[in-house]
Amino acid sequence: MAGNRKRSWKIYPAWGYEKEIEDLNQASEQGWQLVNGGCFHSSFVKNPNVRYRYQMDYGRIDDMDRYIETFREQGWEHVHSTYNKWHYFRKAYDPALPEEAYEIFTDRESLQEMNNRWARLALIIAVLLAGFAVYYGVRLIQTPQLPLLIHTLAFALESGLLVWGWTIMRSPDPNRSRRCGSAFLTAILAVIVLGAVAGMVLSSLRPHFKTGQGGGALDEPMVDSRWADFEVKYRDNYFLDLDFASDAPMTFSVLDEAGQTVYTQTGTSFREENIRLQLPAGHYCFSISCETGYRINCIIQ
Amino acid sequence: MKRSEPMSESYYYILLCLAKGANHGYGIMQMTEKLSGGDVTIGSGTMYGATGNMMKKGWIREIMSDEPGVERRRLYQLTDSGREALRAEIARLRRMLANAEEV
Repeated sequence: MAGNRKRSWKIYPAWGYEKEIEDLNQASEQGWQLVNGGCFHSSFVKNPNVRYRYQMDYGRIDDMDRYIETFREQGWEHVHSTYNKWHYFRKAYDPALPEEAYEIFTDRESLQEMNNRWARLALIIAVLLAGFAVYYGVRLIQTPQLPLLIHTLAFALESGLLVWGWTIMRSPDPNRSRRCGSAFLTAILAVIVLGAVAGMVLSSLRPHFKTGQGGGALDEPMVDSRWADFEVKYRDNYFLDLDFASDAPMTFSVLDEAGQTVYTQTGTSFREENIRLQLPAGHYCFSISCETGYRINCIIQ
Repeated sequence: MKRSEPMSESYYYILLCLAKGANHGYGIMQMTEKLSGGDVTIGSGTMYGATGNMMKKGWIREIMSDEPGVERRRLYQLTDSGREALRAEIARLRRMLANAEEV
């Protein structure tokens, strides 16, 4: 039966559903009949002996029996419904019937209701995503670093994309689905997915070194001891939380591979968070120099 | 008196088609086309939404047909408040028409 089935991975945004319907009608004309539709992927079966016209509806259905019966009464066959509440219907094409026979929304109000059902949800999600963008944006300002920049941009882009879709879905312009090219959308989605993955990978590559509270406590004197190592995988800003105290002045330093000091602090007591260190990739170590007992707690991330 | 919102054409015709007795969706659709001389059609999506909304408003209710041969067929029936809403809409339309004639 090879060659009787076909898959398509074309991406359709919700606000381009009219274009999707057009494509389904065209596929049917060429003998490919929809089995399973969706926004990322559709599957078809070959049957050149029939021709269907398709329609899509969106929304939570209170009474599925009544819903399908209402469509069946007018010759619509329920093809399937997706998990995200899109419903696909088809009707055998009869050239003798007028075009209106293939409409499922016959007044402006009901079409607008359907569009608004999606638009409302999109707006809620867009606001949530904008909230994430703001959250990461604030953290980015506090501690500027690459993964946070990527997360902020990705969430802002996702939110913006949905707001754009929201305006198209609410637009009364009948040619609005022309305004959302599939290639453009695929590119944006690719950027978002790549951004999310890159953000996570970069985030996981960062050093997460942490001494326990008082974990570095030593009672005997210590001179120029290389205390702990950490590795930086890519050039970025890294942030040090440092808290130490001792009886006589002590020195805390961060050294690079060549033994050069990239950060140093001397005193009997010191406490600061989010000390920004701009570090190229490489191996680093903390060094402590102290002639009396001391305690230290530090985090680098 | 609270002024009622103008009804959509589909709501109006559905109520009108039920005024003389219960009917199923397809019957309402056919009757609407006949009454309006083909000007008004009610597609399935519009029908499902309108009947659902009007059931929520309490203007119509769903009953099962007990006619022999078509048992268990879903029918819609006008309620008293639905009849009242239809009457109010007709009065509104009459008033608008009368206004047009005055001018």
